[in-house]
Amino acid sequence: MDRAFQRTQILTNHLLRSSPPPSPLSSNACLSYSPPELSENHAFDVKEMRKLIDGHDVEERDWLFGLMRQSKLFNPRVRGGKVFVSPDYNHSMEQQREMTWKRIEYFLERGVFKGWLTEEGEEIEMRKFAGFEVSSVYDHSLFTKLGVHFFLWGGAIKFLGTKHHHEKWLRDSENYLIKGCFAMTELGHGSNVRGVETITTYDSNTGEFVINTPCESAQKYWIGGAANHATHTVLFSQLYVNGSNQGVHAFIVQIRDADGNICPNIRIADCGHKIGLNGVDNGRIWFDNVRVPRENLLNSVADVSPDGKYLSSIENPDQRFAAFMAPLTVGRVNIACTSVYQSKVALAIAIRYALTRRAFSLKPNEPEVLLLDYPSHQGRLIPLVAKTYAMSFAANYLKMLYVKRTPDSNKTIHIVSSSFKATFTWNNMQILQECREACGGQGLKTENRVGHLKGEYDVQSTFEGDNNILMQQVSKALFSEYMAAQKRNKAFKGLGLEHMNKPCPVIPSQLTSSTLRCSQFQMDALCLRERDLLNRLVADVSKCKSEGESTQQAFLMCYQLAEDLSRAFSDRAMFQTFIEAEANLPAGSLKDVLGTLRSLYALICLEDVSYVRYGYLSVENGASVRQEITEICSELRPHALALITSFGIPDAFLSPIAFNWIEANSWSSV
Amino acid sequence: MASSVSSQHDEVLVEEKSFARILTLNRPKQLNALSSQMISRLLELFLANEDDPNVKLVILKGKGRAFCAGGDVAAVVHDIRAGGWRAGANFFMKEFTLNYLMATYSKLQVSILNGIVMGGGNGASMHGRFRVATENSLFAMPETALGLFPDVGASYFLSRLPGFFGEYLCLTGARLDGAEMLACGLATHFVQSAKLPALEAALCAADSSDTVIISSIIGQYSEQPSLKEQSVYNRLDVIDRCFSQKTVEDILSALENEAVNRRDGWISTTIQTLKKASPTSLKISLRSIRAGRLQGVGPCLIREYRMVCHVMRGEFSKDFFEGCRAILLDKDKNPKWEPSKLELITDTTVDIYFSKVKNEDWEDLKLPARSKFNLPPYVIAKL
Repeated sequence: MDRAFQRTQILTNHLLRSSPPPSPLSSNACLSYSPPELSENHAFDVKEMRKLIDGHDVEERDWLFGLMRQSKLFNPRVRGGKVFVSPDYNHSMEQQREMTWKRIEYFLERGVFKGWLTEEGEEIEMRKFAGFEVSSVYDHSLFTKLGVHFFLWGGAIKFLGTKHHHEKWLRDSENYLIKGCFAMTELGHGSNVRGVETITTYDSNTGEFVINTPCESAQKYWIGGAANHATHTVLFSQLYVNGSNQGVHAFIVQIRDADGNICPNIRIADCGHKIGLNGVDNGRIWFDNVRVPRENLLNSVADVSPDGKYLSSIENPDQRFAAFMAPLTVGRVNIACTSVYQSKVALAIAIRYALTRRAFSLKPNEPEVLLLDYPSHQGRLIPLVAKTYAMSFAANYLKMLYVKRTPDSNKTIHIVSSSFKATFTWNNMQILQECREACGGQGLKTENRVGHLKGEYDVQSTFEGDNNILMQQVSKALFSEYMAAQKRNKAFKGLGLEHMNKPCPVIPSQLTSSTLRCSQFQMDALCLRERDLLNRLVADVSKCKSEGESTQQAFLMCYQLAEDLSRAFSDRAMFQTFIEAEANLPAGSLKDVLGTLRSLYALICLEDVSYVRYGYLSVENGASVRQEITEICSELRPHALALITSFGIPDAFLSPIAFNWIEANSWSSV
Repeated sequence: MASSVSSQHDEVLVEEKSFARILTLNRPKQLNALSSQMISRLLELFLANEDDPNVKLVILKGKGRAFCAGGDVAAVVHDIRAGGWRAGANFFMKEFTLNYLMATYSKLQVSILNGIVMGGGNGASMHGRFRVATENSLFAMPETALGLFPDVGASYFLSRLPGFFGEYLCLTGARLDGAEMLACGLATHFVQSAKLPALEAALCAADSSDTVIISSIIGQYSEQPSLKEQSVYNRLDVIDRCFSQKTVEDILSALENEAVNRRDGWISTTIQTLKKASPTSLKISLRSIRAGRLQGVGPCLIREYRMVCHVMRGEFSKDFFEGCRAILLDKDKNPKWEPSKLELITDTTVDIYFSKVKNEDWEDLKLPARSKFNLPPYVIAKL
């Protein structure tokens, strides 16, 4: 009762304080926009928080944001007295593509890409990631066109090519004298790259490879850059040498001349208008006896001698194939990290709107209540803020894992990047939808961004590895870790599975608030689920096999457990990065608020249906978790503005409803 | 109707005319450089006028040939010598508070910039709603030549000029005339000085606080001056190409590349100016304007206050004192900067200027509360 009274007092004070002073000029019935900057306090240093969650290259990011904000090419518009930059999505598909290209040229002239393909080392790789994250905040088409050119085309040459390829192609690519694309996917084969039907045969008489599209399902599909701009592509194709198939290999093929004319024996068609990403010219390619010199085989994994001998340093065809997939790993890291920035944009907009928009009075003649003062609205948005913080720390971990890679860490990178790419991009779509709804009708206006981003970013759950397939890879990897440990009777090591070696944690029968906020309990609860699901998966697969099914078939039948397990892995792995980020901070306001966010993140993981499905939490404990979430949301409510300001998205990259939406919609602005 | 409420010796003269208040900076011999007393007085007057329902408009102008040549930096240096860096910090704390008050003022401020307007003079005018330039206007933010950096909220108002013109003004301290000020948006109007008395009378008679009405009154006296042929504003393309580069070093080499392609006195002058400025000042100024472009005016002033405290403390570089010696005191115009070269100043060093001052009882700038006022939309947009 006291608590309820206290809440009402707080609410009343808040309403009284922020109601506009009576003025003879404005009628009392009018709403006025009350800027949250003047009423909300920052209890911690938002600059420090931004540094922590951006993780690296803050100056570089601000420079890039500034480059975009100051140029007419980025379509600045004034709304409510503020400048906003965002592409004109009312442009035709062709116009959007041309604008994307002009923006790339603008970056090129300013030296943004300096070293992106010609320098090596952690520093440049991190700077590149920052560049991609910032471009993605402006527009997904800009991000994607850059990603195809630098990570897929450039990455393929770097990883799959050898010295002479590097010398011949990298500098020209960095300077965009060559515009690259990446022809892997076909109409008939997407995730199953090993099944591509394009055929390349070696002609030892001329020392050339001859490329053919043997049937319609073999046409290259969704090739970003192919429809309008790309001059070259990395082509993935079956390689036949002396009549025998050596599996999928990668070749450099020129598809347009310097003037943009399509090369002989190549046919290109457009993929057409899409639900988003129309600034990227996705195309389809057919090859009709296209001949390329022998040197165009990217030969770091395998080579063909002039007289037609197939030579490979990797004997095992599975491993050889895996090596060809290397460029996709960095793409996945990049996609995972940038999806987090879309969640930041959407939450910054939705929270700012909720701090200025009111709806319904509690009593007649009282001012209406601010959206974010409704516990239900807090319950919708604030857990998503916590999730976004968790994703930020996990993304920083993933980037570091990638740039510090060694041959030994390849498996970990593959599993963690698969898991995080799928989880973050799914989370992002959920966050975008919730934020769109939280902004009501305003969320539907393209200029307000949140709704539009759904169409733009939906593709992230499909490209660079379908999310469901990636998650299957995670559960399969965990399964084999288990089998390997069992077979050799050795302890688990790697992928964060060391907790499997310890005694199984026990969840207390009654969960108090202080237990629920204890990081050890939270970690125990997340480990318990992962451990149990892995045990169950192993048991179910063995059971199916004992009934005569093949391992593959057994896995297919146990897909539900496998899905639950891969989610459990992601949640636990993300949580671990949160704990580490928190542990590295000195005591103080930053650490305090992060501790609260970490608890909120852990508790929303515990709300996952698997906790009840498999009985890790009793019905009573489930109710305690729920209650604690509500409690934490109201504790974080006063920090809401500071928490989203720390995302570091400049005002110009948010949208009119995030600021003075009354002025932005006034008659004088029509 | 008019009643004088101040004596001739006051450093700020006050005239009450109907619903308008005319404040005149009155230190003509010092080109109206802002003393600590003037800043306190202005703060007092702006606060009182905001609370006074009879005031709808505040006009700010300067006596003599300057609007205001800046903060009285020589006095600041003197105070620091006598009382330590905190004395300097206190001056800037008060000045930046005034800048914030002006930037978030709920009433209209019209500044008549009929003469020199530099440094702190820009801080006292650019944040207000209307800035009237004349044929006598002479603008500059010359701090990098003085071992300081463009402060008084310049990282807010310079960074919002078209393209990368702000970086150009900020780093080179280049001077603009009235026509150029209008073209780039530093001034909202251009009025021939001969028409100023009539404009003032019309504003005092207006009895309005409506932005549109006041703007159209000033508009009746304004004109569109043409830019002189050699105006730097006609070189925006070169400025954008060069001053958008990532670092000061990159900006210099971009300018040098331009110079290779064509013989152009302006480019070599610009290069020379940059090479004469304090390297530390250049680096922190560039970082500041780039950060300011993405922040509201309040956070800009808070950041600048941190920076200015580090400059006053002189922990890393004492260029500010050297600059004041060479330009203001000894006037030998030959400062010896330390560190002397751009490459000697690392990013980590620049970082220091943006961090909190590690000193007991030091605090970030506390902005005055503005929530009790009904702020106009153009103010809300700056927050």
